[in-house]
Amino acid sequence: MGVLDWFRRKNRTASAGGMAVFQKKYESFKRLLDANNDTLELMARLEAVAEGDFVFDIQFIRSRSQAILDKVATIVEELNILGDNRYQALGNLYDSLREKITQEIATPLATESVPLVMPLSQVDRRHLLQVGGKNANLGELKNRLHLPTPEGFVLTNAAFRLVMRENHLTEKIRIFLDGLNPDNLEALGTQSRELQEAIRQATIPPALQAEVLKHYQALSAQLGSQPALALRSSGIYEDQEYSFAGLFLTRLNVPFADFFPAYLEVLASQFNRRALVYLCQKRLAHREQAMSVGCLAMVPAVASGVLFTTDPMGQRQDVMLVDAAWGLGPAVVDGTVTPDHFVLSKKPPITLLEQQINDKPVFLQGQKSQMGLATSAVPAEQRRQPALTPEQLLTLGRYGLRLEEYFGEPLDIEFAVDPQGRLLIMQARPLLVEAPTPTEKRPAAVGEREQLLLDGGTVACFGVAAGPVYLIQKDQDLANFPEGAILVARHTSARYGMVLHRARGMVIDIGSATSHLAILAREYKVPALVDTGVATEVLQPGQVITVDATHMRVYAGEVHELLDQAHKRSPSPIISSPIYAKLRRVLRWITPLNLVDPKLSDLTPENCKTLHDITRFAHQMGIKEMFDLAEKAGQRDDIHSVKLKTTIPFNLHIIDLGGGIEAGRRAKFVPPEAISSIPMRALWKGISHPDISWAGPIPIDVKGLYAVVSRSLTASSDHSDFWSRTFAIISFNYLNYSSRLGYHFATIDAYVSDIRNDNYITFRFKGGAADEVRRGRRVRFLGAVLEKLDFDVEVTGDLVVGRLWKYPRELMEEKLDMLGRLMGCARQRDMLMADDAIVDWYTEAFLAGNYRFEGSPSLTTAPPDQPAHS
Amino acid sequence: MPATIIIVDDEPDLLDLLKMILTEKTDYHVLTTTDPYEALAWCRDQSADVLISDLRMPQLEGIELLKLLKGQDAGIPFIIMTAYGTIESAVEAMRQGAFDYITKPFRKEQIIMTIRKALAKRQELLTQQENTDNG
Repeated sequence: MGVLDWFRRKNRTASAGGMAVFQKKYESFKRLLDANNDTLELMARLEAVAEGDFVFDIQFIRSRSQAILDKVATIVEELNILGDNRYQALGNLYDSLREKITQEIATPLATESVPLVMPLSQVDRRHLLQVGGKNANLGELKNRLHLPTPEGFVLTNAAFRLVMRENHLTEKIRIFLDGLNPDNLEALGTQSRELQEAIRQATIPPALQAEVLKHYQALSAQLGSQPALALRSSGIYEDQEYSFAGLFLTRLNVPFADFFPAYLEVLASQFNRRALVYLCQKRLAHREQAMSVGCLAMVPAVASGVLFTTDPMGQRQDVMLVDAAWGLGPAVVDGTVTPDHFVLSKKPPITLLEQQINDKPVFLQGQKSQMGLATSAVPAEQRRQPALTPEQLLTLGRYGLRLEEYFGEPLDIEFAVDPQGRLLIMQARPLLVEAPTPTEKRPAAVGEREQLLLDGGTVACFGVAAGPVYLIQKDQDLANFPEGAILVARHTSARYGMVLHRARGMVIDIGSATSHLAILAREYKVPALVDTGVATEVLQPGQVITVDATHMRVYAGEVHELLDQAHKRSPSPIISSPIYAKLRRVLRWITPLNLVDPKLSDLTPENCKTLHDITRFAHQMGIKEMFDLAEKAGQRDDIHSVKLKTTIPFNLHIIDLGGGIEAGRRAKFVPPEAISSIPMRALWKGISHPDISWAGPIPIDVKGLYAVVSRSLTASSDHSDFWSRTFAIISFNYLNYSSRLGYHFATIDAYVSDIRNDNYITFRFKGGAADEVRRGRRVRFLGAVLEKLDFDVEVTGDLVVGRLWKYPRELMEEKLDMLGRLMGCARQRDMLMADDAIVDWYTEAFLAGNYRFEGSPSLTTAPPDQPAHS
Repeated sequence: MPATIIIVDDEPDLLDLLKMILTEKTDYHVLTTTDPYEALAWCRDQSADVLISDLRMPQLEGIELLKLLKGQDAGIPFIIMTAYGTIESAVEAMRQGAFDYITKPFRKEQIIMTIRKALAKRQELLTQQENTDNG
């Protein structure tokens, strides 16, 4: 007989209305708990796959994401039943996350029917496949976030396909791409020029002409003038898993009369030599190629720049970086001038932390009445003035934070300041961030015998590489770039990107870590230094050098000490593959946990950003709803909410579904001996074992963590704090026990009776305040002990699940007793496990009954342990 | 001479990943394609040692590709990759003469181990054939 059947029968005589509601809600609660457990397991498995040991495909990402979405939908639905629809905001959040996840795993389809032209005011991320990543992002921030952007329209991928089809170019492109050989740059150049010329000569179909004219007229009417346009490419794979940074053409300041030739030129740029090499390197040449073009009213920018919402080098926490210069944007990203550099704090209130104002002798502006840009001299008094005002910087910082939060990842944002001083966002795309290197401050240069050639500059990509210097002075030099050379040049021109796959390292005189070439260096993982000032003067062609980009130094010859160290540190390339990148992009809406305050003061729907947050929120609220329900019913005879009377500092609240507490002993506080629930009695026996300490600070080995532990324990003795309560729903045979202590969460779901086949225990333990490695050790400790106790154990990340079925009653009781002891011992145990060997020591100690872990090898600073009961 | 491994799957991302793994961990010569007929042609022209194929492909089902391969060269071990829900079809492929099947997602080591076993089988068959020819 299941607990609910029993419950239903037992309560037939009880007040029908109240009991029916309680029963319905209890059923919802059980479904919520089940879905919660399933969700956590699914998430943990998906996270484990993302660590880099697995081979999987998009179908796997799709099916697992869908499974998680289905479970979380159940959680939201059941919580709303429990809470009488008071959690509808959670439903809205769920819908928006579902949309983001679904979009992320959508695959571009060549056959989709889409309009040829769309106004930017109607574009958002749902149109990713039709308008490309760059345009979709711009539309999203314009139309959903209402941030200032230029006005304009987009020629979709359908327009590209129409032009190619009508001009019989589709097949020609296919054949061309099939025969690509990226190693013969010269032949590639000739073929590329031929194909680009064929595209530039294409005829624009009348249907497209009419559509473009219609949208341009609408734009002119809206602005009250006939604006020149900026035509920006947006490739089908661009700004998603692949950056294509600076590879496609942007045409600025295009009068409408020149629109179509400029459009064709942008389309043709998809097949420029650099882009083709990139396509080959990224193994995209065999896929469908299409390009959408964003056509924006030209902003006559007085200043422009780039904002990185995080440090792409991973070295500085909580900062945003801004590069800005006078005039239009290309000067900044192409490295024509050394821009001003600003560092903003990311934590509100945003403040300017540092600034480096550089001499900016020239600026770019649109030519009057004709297409193209002109370089002009900056007036002498402005050259060393900051390109942005403090107010503009702060506004920019606010936009950056908002965008990063919305897109769920660090971003690279291009902006412009119009003549009225207004900031406009021109583009936002994912920022590739380097994992922080574990190096301390810059160490001394290696041995004296090594000749230091350069010392300083800015890191564009971490790492160490050695090879012969190859100096690039003009584009023609690129054709002969030798395999394994170090690229040395004056500027960070994005054109150099096409030889980066052959380069071992890169050293540049002028440029910033935010330039297109720097982005490409990180994508290709080519150790790179920029802004060295004098590399082209100091480094001689053919000279073998070692570039230690991490420490901003260049040495003569091969420095094996550095090269060997770097080799040991380099991670597997697999996790940087596109499918892993795709999984990580999907996971950012699923697994990060933002509700991390152990006292749960941040527990609101507004703070939920991911499915994990929803799950956590709903689980806590579900317990609270059940508890509130029970408390309200506490005055009645048929539903009992009682507190356990014990000297252990436990805030244990019990809802008795019937038969869990001895008849005649029901009161507000009940002693443990009044509990008749078989599983609860067994568990309590373990919890209250005389050698298990539940009070007082436990020894820790890291001083700084003492505060964390103490805080948790203080919280657990604070009776006013709901979240410190341990919660048990019991019947004679059933136990659902939920305990949060400090930073971890443990649940036990058990049914124990004389009918062996009905018996089960499920134990789950998740979380912890310590770092991942230490949490992992605690989980391994728990897993090892549970295995010895005959549980089926599954360990995934920091979640450990132990299951036991169909043992006789006496054995089930023994196991619950041991679980009670184990939970006591596992309390904050991750703080102590300073190394892997200690895990085995703890396991043996526990199994030997040394529950106080006397003689632990890790106790270095040990405040006195104070047992709660003697 | 390093063994030649041919992989066919309609998902280029998976092909890229497998190629990356095998190139990093082994010295096999790895060819990948989304076109099952191209894979078949390679098996004929490139002295392939193992063919790894997806089960569900729009152009040609894995089982059909297996039949075509067996008609062409029965000695090339055929490893099928399948999703969790299609294990029955994979078992059917084994009945039809596939060497082994592997369920996605799988660990890197699993595919390398399976290929090693397939290569050993291939070597065994070649040796047998040689002995028969010499005898």
